[in-house]
Amino acid sequence: MGFSDALVPLEVPVGVVGIDRRQFLVAATGSLGLGVLSACGSSSSSTASPSASKRPPISAEPGTLSILEWPGYEAAGTKAQTYGLLAGSEYTKKYGTSGITYTYIVNDDEALAKATSGGPFDIIHPCHENIPDYVNRGLVQPWDTSLLPSFKQLNPYLVRATQYRGKQYHIPWDWGYGSLLYRTDKVSAADAAGWELAWNRKYAGKISLWNGASTNFEIAALKLGYPNMDVLTSSQLQSAKQALIEQKPLNKLYWGSEYSQEQPNFKSGEVWVTYCWQDSLVSMTKAGLKCAFLQPSQGRLSWICGFMLGANTKNYYHAHAYVESYINRVAAAQMTNLFYYGNSNSTVTAADIKDKTLVRALDLSNPKAVTTAPNHLQSWSPNRSALELAWQEVQAA
Amino acid sequence: MRLRLGRVALTAYFWAFVLFLFAPLAVLVVFAFNQSMTPTLPITAWTTHWFHQAFSDTELTGALLRSIGIGAATGLFATALGIMASIGLSARRLRLRALIVAILLLPLVVPYISLAVGLLVLLNQLGLQISLWAVFLGHVVIALPFAVLVILPRLRSLDPAMIEAACDLGSNELTAFNLVTLPLLLPSLVSSFLICFITSFDEFAIASFLAPPGQPTFPVFLYTGSRAPGLLPELIAIGSLIIVGSLVVIAIAEGGRRWAEGRLRGIPAEEAELPAGQDVPTLQI
Amino acid sequence: MPAADLARRRPRVGAVRLRIGRGTLVLPPLGIVLLVLVGPIAVLMLYSVNLRTNIPGTPTAFSSANWKDFLTGPGNPFRERFFYSMKITLLVSVAVTVAAYPLAYYLAFIARRFRYTLLLVLIAPFFTSYLLRIVAWSDIVLNNNGIVNQALWDLHLRPHGNGVSWLLYSNFSIFLVLFYAWIPFVSLPIFAVLENMDHQLTEAATDLGASRFTTFWTVTFPLSLPGVIAAFVFVLIPTTGEFIAPLYVGGPNNQLFGNEIQSFFGDSPNWNYGAVLAIALIVVVLVLMLVFGRFLNSDLRSRRSGR
Repeated sequence: MGFSDALVPLEVPVGVVGIDRRQFLVAATGSLGLGVLSACGSSSSSTASPSASKRPPISAEPGTLSILEWPGYEAAGTKAQTYGLLAGSEYTKKYGTSGITYTYIVNDDEALAKATSGGPFDIIHPCHENIPDYVNRGLVQPWDTSLLPSFKQLNPYLVRATQYRGKQYHIPWDWGYGSLLYRTDKVSAADAAGWELAWNRKYAGKISLWNGASTNFEIAALKLGYPNMDVLTSSQLQSAKQALIEQKPLNKLYWGSEYSQEQPNFKSGEVWVTYCWQDSLVSMTKAGLKCAFLQPSQGRLSWICGFMLGANTKNYYHAHAYVESYINRVAAAQMTNLFYYGNSNSTVTAADIKDKTLVRALDLSNPKAVTTAPNHLQSWSPNRSALELAWQEVQAA
Repeated sequence: MRLRLGRVALTAYFWAFVLFLFAPLAVLVVFAFNQSMTPTLPITAWTTHWFHQAFSDTELTGALLRSIGIGAATGLFATALGIMASIGLSARRLRLRALIVAILLLPLVVPYISLAVGLLVLLNQLGLQISLWAVFLGHVVIALPFAVLVILPRLRSLDPAMIEAACDLGSNELTAFNLVTLPLLLPSLVSSFLICFITSFDEFAIASFLAPPGQPTFPVFLYTGSRAPGLLPELIAIGSLIIVGSLVVIAIAEGGRRWAEGRLRGIPAEEAELPAGQDVPTLQI
Repeated sequence: MPAADLARRRPRVGAVRLRIGRGTLVLPPLGIVLLVLVGPIAVLMLYSVNLRTNIPGTPTAFSSANWKDFLTGPGNPFRERFFYSMKITLLVSVAVTVAAYPLAYYLAFIARRFRYTLLLVLIAPFFTSYLLRIVAWSDIVLNNNGIVNQALWDLHLRPHGNGVSWLLYSNFSIFLVLFYAWIPFVSLPIFAVLENMDHQLTEAATDLGASRFTTFWTVTFPLSLPGVIAAFVFVLIPTTGEFIAPLYVGGPNNQLFGNEIQSFFGDSPNWNYGAVLAIALIVVVLVLMLVFGRFLNSDLRSRRSGR
């Protein structure tokens, strides 16, 4: 509400506001009655996707892809892609860019919420711990891997990890780690031993965790030494919540956008310790900062992300073509050379990647790196809603 | 001596506040011409480049057009409903009048965030997708009270002799309404349209939940865009246009209102400043 | 009302003699408001008691657990955030009302000739976009490389690059932005009351020998109280549900209650709990409206009757 209130003629509040209190309460209870009546009945359910035989050929599809995507991964050729990624260029060269719209993901929980209640998406780029939720809510359908020529080149370990109920609901593309990036000239080596760095009062106001909801609970769980960071008992959840509430005031902010918050804040020196993925290590080192990507004693987080297909998409073949333009050898290799995330295309070897030191440091040539100790693969959590409520409580505290 | 000091102090206070109020607006306009990508001082180079870029940015223009479209539709529809409500409320006998007034004005009081999430939930319950139609309906409902608040007093203050004259001269009720009442109501209808348009154009809560992905209204686009440093200069450019445009519209509308009031009352325009015949002055723009 | 005489007249032309009075015209707008306003509230109520849920496959049964937790749960953070939110709201409302009074006084008593024009100048910023004005504060004036910090650096009052940390994403920035947004609007009701005051009363006081200040304090100010209360209420009610300003200029510890609600529906699919918060907010605002509205009305009525 705002300034329109300025134009309210003043004599009216007299007449309006002077309504009888009893009448107002009658109106309120009457509304409740009406509401109960209107709410009985209809329930929502997603409709089944059209069967293959009814699917129109690619030329008959509207060609408008609505994609729920992480910033930075937009297809080459689109206006939003300003980070140097070349993936997607085959698609945009053939089909143009005008049909593609991106809606941005802040974190996976929020993406799931958006996909559930927001408009239908054609392609979603979630990470693998969310696969069961997307499938169980009827938001996605399996891919037809025969339409993806590069699919057979994909790392079979990752391919298996992203199957659900025997179907390929998720095409893995990028994988990597989550950890704390810290300034080696500001943070002593003794402090940089593990996740507890984020709880270190010496750096109060210079820390920035991600607005990452369940991710932060995994971090707290690792810090507290729980055996399984994704399956917490309710008392473990409460302790993790407490730990995060203690940590909260030490943050400058919970960053939501990598490119307009996390990286600029770290670059300008406002933040010395930030949660991030390894691409920030690359960018910040390139920007001339002395920094390191923490290898905590408890182990880093690791993730596998990739593409899922909207359940009611009208652009079935376009979506497949889009994904193919990302997972092919050239695109995948270029992505790794840019962000230094791992890619899922096993024909890309260490020889294709420029910075060999980083390849070794980040174990990029290990096809099972995400589950190699001490890395902890972010996985599905059975009590997601309890986690989310707890995260809300942390934010409100 | 104390007298003058008080006057001087109050005058200074007033103008200091006017400065304070207009300063951020001026800042927006000034930085719209700033060459550099980030809005910092000192400004070393000036350019109109951002305006060109803004207008060739299809996402931005798309969002603007959507907001203008929904705003205009809201203005028209809410004003029409406001006319109907005002006529209905000015009927001599109306059952539960106070209750009806309360319900019609209820949207003024309900927090927009609660309404927005409520609409989201309702759509989900009915199995409907979020859409710009839902945004439009939401906007009509929050704009309606303003329409009523602007049109109703004006309707009530009309000299009934004119309408009686029309009926005496043989026109039926509908024609009397079209030929006599509507034109007399015109200033308030224009005000109502403007207010409803602005309410809808600048509304964020409902639009943020109900506008489908890829079809944001301008406020939603502004919010996501202000997070992206690359878009900021364009947004400032468009923002400056909107600000200057609204100020111009306000000036014209007020000038027009005074002129119209003067004509309708048959008094010179300067004296139209003070609306006569009401014991509480109402500011009708 | 004289205009209602029209109701007595029947159309001379037209085949159908409608017995429906003009009052029925109120039905379409009423219907739309009921549908679009009451429907959502009703569904929210269902969600708040767990009779509906947005997570498919979850069982639904009446449960007041969420309500109990919010209202009575020990140390419930959402309730705490609500109190914090109300504190800020009250602070802003009081500050804005106090600051706007002299503006209204100036317009009503000192700027006699051009007072309406100057009033328009004062309110004009209100007609421009609220969001754009916030963006001006958050991205140009208060931010780390913004005008204020740059000025401090250029004047060597602070080392270069070291910005004042509490300028943005703080209680200060939220307070400032809300204050800035509401000041013009709040002057209106105070101005209206001051403008409408019977000047004979103040003249009489001066004639009886009262100083200017005494006249103000014993005559003008008390008579203007209804306008002051109206102004206070005009800020209080919308600001209770405010959530836009914190999105732009608020830090993680300055989010208002409206942001809580937004986050429940936007960030995490827990609509049941979020519905509790959304309805609680509506109830609070309605209560405020009833309390203050009644007060407003009776005062204005008594003023009108010439007391």
